[in-house]
Amino acid sequence: MTLTIFLFMSLIIAGIQTAIPFLVNRSVIFGVTIPEKHLQNETLIAFKKNYCKLVGLLSIILLAAYTLWVLFQTATEEQIVIVGILLEFVIILFSFALYFYYHGKTLKLKTDNQWTGNLKQIRVADLSARSRDEMLPWQVFLLPMIITIGVIGYTLLQYDLLPQQIPTHWGPSGQPDAFTEKTLLSAILMPLTLFVMQLMFLGIHLGTKKSGIKLSGESTEASRQRQLALRKYSSWLMFFVSFLITVLLSFFQLQIIHPDIISATAMFAIPLGFLFLILVGTIVFAVRVGRSDKFAIETIEEKLTDSDDSHWKGGLFYFNKNDPSIFVEKRFGVGWTINLANPIGYLIIFVPLIAILLFSFL
Amino acid sequence: MIIRIEPESEVPIYLQIANQIIEGIARGHIHPGQSLPSVRTFAADLGINMHTVNKSYHHLEQKGIIQIMPKSGAIIASPQDFNETSITRLKDAFKPLIAESLVVGMSHQQIQELVTSMIEVFKNSKEETQ
Repeated sequence: MTLTIFLFMSLIIAGIQTAIPFLVNRSVIFGVTIPEKHLQNETLIAFKKNYCKLVGLLSIILLAAYTLWVLFQTATEEQIVIVGILLEFVIILFSFALYFYYHGKTLKLKTDNQWTGNLKQIRVADLSARSRDEMLPWQVFLLPMIITIGVIGYTLLQYDLLPQQIPTHWGPSGQPDAFTEKTLLSAILMPLTLFVMQLMFLGIHLGTKKSGIKLSGESTEASRQRQLALRKYSSWLMFFVSFLITVLLSFFQLQIIHPDIISATAMFAIPLGFLFLILVGTIVFAVRVGRSDKFAIETIEEKLTDSDDSHWKGGLFYFNKNDPSIFVEKRFGVGWTINLANPIGYLIIFVPLIAILLFSFL
Repeated sequence: MIIRIEPESEVPIYLQIANQIIEGIARGHIHPGQSLPSVRTFAADLGINMHTVNKSYHHLEQKGIIQIMPKSGAIIASPQDFNETSITRLKDAFKPLIAESLVVGMSHQQIQELVTSMIEVFKNSKEETQ
């Protein structure tokens, strides 16, 4: 069972890491902006293909070795978990090392051929893009929060029903195997953590909504489609995840109050189903966004570039202290990254995490 | 309407934005009564400082092209909002340009043709968008 979970997760990670060069923004290759007319350059396409081959090959070898090891050696449950986690890290680290290697090569190719030598730099905004923004309204993120408040209220009402020892961890059999003393705080710890997470989701949603719709000067239409798709689907994914976590943790909380409400099998199956739905949601998101700018027909204007490379450190980290955007689209990968020069981004991400850590150590 | 700025250009960014908005109105891409994006979103879209966009909006407000309302933001003014002072100001602005054109050696006719052709371009693109 543990093997299946780890294989499944590693496969997803390996799959996404392998496909990244074909899922990212079309005019950015390994974190370097490439002028439209050089996008079909053979060396660049070879870079992308080599990256995919290497990451794919390594992943297949590692996953096969892992499976054989688990099936033919007598490994303990713990060993399977540790090696499984290590495996995922190795795949991610390897693909990042390879990314930096090709980032350097692409950058060199660009400067050697002087692709941007006599091009004008421009920045583009569409005044009407916001009227086509289909992000969910922020108020929907209040719905799961109301459920959480309800669960906290119910827990306090049923305080006497709660066992003296509150379970904090469930084993693979679905039976609790770690407990803590019953206090007012420990009784509502789980929904309280949930509430902070929901606040973080709301914060990220508002942050992305307020962030800029960045368009490319060369492929305005394709970049607009991608930006709008990214905004729409990431708000959906965020709501989906927020909703699923709410269902999962509320269920656990109710199970603590009424231990007989569900069987041990269900206690085991529900988190698995949760994990499965989250992964499926993420894949759908990555594919939808990744393909959003691949079919647009373009009228290419010559002698223009929107090279923003100076604000992207290593092609991965965005640092622009003039830009009021809190989040910007990732250059390598599907999704968002934080504008490291804007302190509000740190607040949205780190304050809730610190709050959750504080709760659990109190 | 698409706004394109050149960060490296000699023309300051705030002026590039203001000029493109005025041109956008002349071309009929945006209409009187419509509102411009908030300073924050505009700056975020372009990845530039909010002060720059603010300066650009104040520049347009001084010209009477937009009105800045406390809650609804920057609204594009309609032609009847303009009066004698706007025209006097424009006369003053034309003066050095026309003088320069004469100095450079353009004939009376050339200047007139230039003005007419520019007006034609704006009119045509306005008819196209309608």
